[in-house]
Amino acid sequence: MSATPTFTGLHALILHRPDEGVERLTRQLERLGLSVSVQWEPLDSDRAQPDIVLVDADQGWSELLPWPAGRSPVPLIALLGSEAPGRIAWAIEHGAGALIAKPIAASAVYPALVLASHIHGERLASADRLTDLLERIRLRPLVHTAVLAIMQARQIEEAEAYHLLRRCAMRRRLTMEHIAAEIVAGIEPLPEAG
Amino acid sequence: MVERTAWTGRDMGRKAIGQLRLTTSRNIPRWREVFCFVGCMVTIRIGILYSTQGPYAAVGRDCRDGAELAIQHIRHSLPAGIAIEPVYGDPAGESRRYLDLARAMLRDEGCRHIVGAITSLSRKDIIPLIEKYDGLLWYVCPYEGFEANENVIYTGACPNQHLLPLFDYLLPRYGSRAYLVGANYVWGWEMNRLARELIGQAGGEILGERYLPLEEDNADRLLAEVEQQRPDFILNNLIGPSSYAFLAGMRRLADRDPYFAPENCPVVSCDLTECELGEIAGHAATSQLCTASYFDSLDTPHNAAFKQHVAARFGKGRLVSSFFAGAYTAVRLCAETILKIGDDAPVAVRADVRSGPVETVLGELTIDPLTNHAALPFHLGRIKERGGFEILNSRPAVAADPYLVGNRAPRRGSHLRVVR
Repeated sequence: MSATPTFTGLHALILHRPDEGVERLTRQLERLGLSVSVQWEPLDSDRAQPDIVLVDADQGWSELLPWPAGRSPVPLIALLGSEAPGRIAWAIEHGAGALIAKPIAASAVYPALVLASHIHGERLASADRLTDLLERIRLRPLVHTAVLAIMQARQIEEAEAYHLLRRCAMRRRLTMEHIAAEIVAGIEPLPEAG
Repeated sequence: MVERTAWTGRDMGRKAIGQLRLTTSRNIPRWREVFCFVGCMVTIRIGILYSTQGPYAAVGRDCRDGAELAIQHIRHSLPAGIAIEPVYGDPAGESRRYLDLARAMLRDEGCRHIVGAITSLSRKDIIPLIEKYDGLLWYVCPYEGFEANENVIYTGACPNQHLLPLFDYLLPRYGSRAYLVGANYVWGWEMNRLARELIGQAGGEILGERYLPLEEDNADRLLAEVEQQRPDFILNNLIGPSSYAFLAGMRRLADRDPYFAPENCPVVSCDLTECELGEIAGHAATSQLCTASYFDSLDTPHNAAFKQHVAARFGKGRLVSSFFAGAYTAVRLCAETILKIGDDAPVAVRADVRSGPVETVLGELTIDPLTNHAALPFHLGRIKERGGFEILNSRPAVAADPYLVGNRAPRRGSHLRVVR
């Protein structure tokens, strides 16, 4: 089951020259409960960030968005009339999670908001997970060192030492890497066998 | 500026309209002067697009009858030199024919307004055409929400006008262990998705969720599961023959086991009205519950007068449904607005209907400029033995909230938080 996505109270920034399509887009966003501003100049990274950005991918240039390619801190929606691969690539490169084709149809706005927010949430979660995994890979030698220390101290096989370390981590509700680091640093006593 | 005109008539008439639009398009007396001078008849053409055959034929026939009655009433008060001509189209429930007929109305028949469509499927199909020809669609049926198109005026209820107040009434009285049934398309799916969410928020439980095609007339599997699950109530979003079969089956079940009698375990619907009760064999739906923004039994002076008009045209036994009243209201509102402003351009008509309340059989009708939806009252009715509804609960008109924007607290600061 999916909860009804809602955007009430969020602020949307449209990076596009004002025109009839942008007016229609603004009205539809307001219907959906968002406040809207429109500008055709680079997003100022010092000012309060919008919650969602909709950018003209036909005419947009890279400096329009102040973040590195693919590192959009908010959901990004591309407004696209062109079919040129280069413009589609520009939208992808800047992290667009959805696109609204021009001329803008009112019915395309809500689905794009839902999709872009969902994709953005997934990307944040993936990025967090990746950071976590990289950290654990970096600390893997510590686990190895701790297992060796347990093997020597308790005179047991590697598999059993690993199992002891794992149980200890679970009991303390820490990652294996964390508990290994504490054991190697001498903060945590070596786990007892059995 | 002279625009493409939907007024038909001889060339002189067209020229006159051009002159009218150039000079005083909002001034009826001037308009009449022009036509007296030219001496020709101008015709307002409105497309009426309803299926009077197919799985939801009973609803389509009621909508069409309502539209016809409205045309008849408008003709009584037309200014001299102006005629109104409905352009009827009957797609017989076939998707392809909705498109062909709507295109013919807009492109060849000179209609800039279409009152029509019953299912969301047909509405979604014809909206791109309406947009292409810059027309205005008048949609009068209750639907699942999540739409607000500038080329559509919505006078049917959306969930904050039917499902939400229904649950406010139902859950405290009957319990929140629900069984959901629905037509196997967007109305059924979305209504049940929302029901699941609302019941979840209320701490209730969904005991089952099943779908049937519109034409299906065997509901035995659903009924067996209902019998086994023993829910507190059943939300019925089935349409047409499958709905009638399910209601008839529930009656048989109740005859066997009083637990399933409507007073204990009601079947509640948001689109079952007077016009379909005759389709259900043996009054099987008696005492079940339905929501609507209008019932034949509404006790208001306006409704009493309206029902007299209906009886004069269709006979005394004819019960009026919200579909009939909705189509009647939409056609009148459309035609009277065109007459009032002397212009049928959708942009002008839309601006005028959104400008203030109008007294209608649905009550004082306001169209919200933000959503193009009508504010509507909520009524909950219990089906009477001889047809029609006993009204159990009513709420005054409330603005439509098609995207349920107001139903939840703002979620600023949730996963959309700015990461620096």
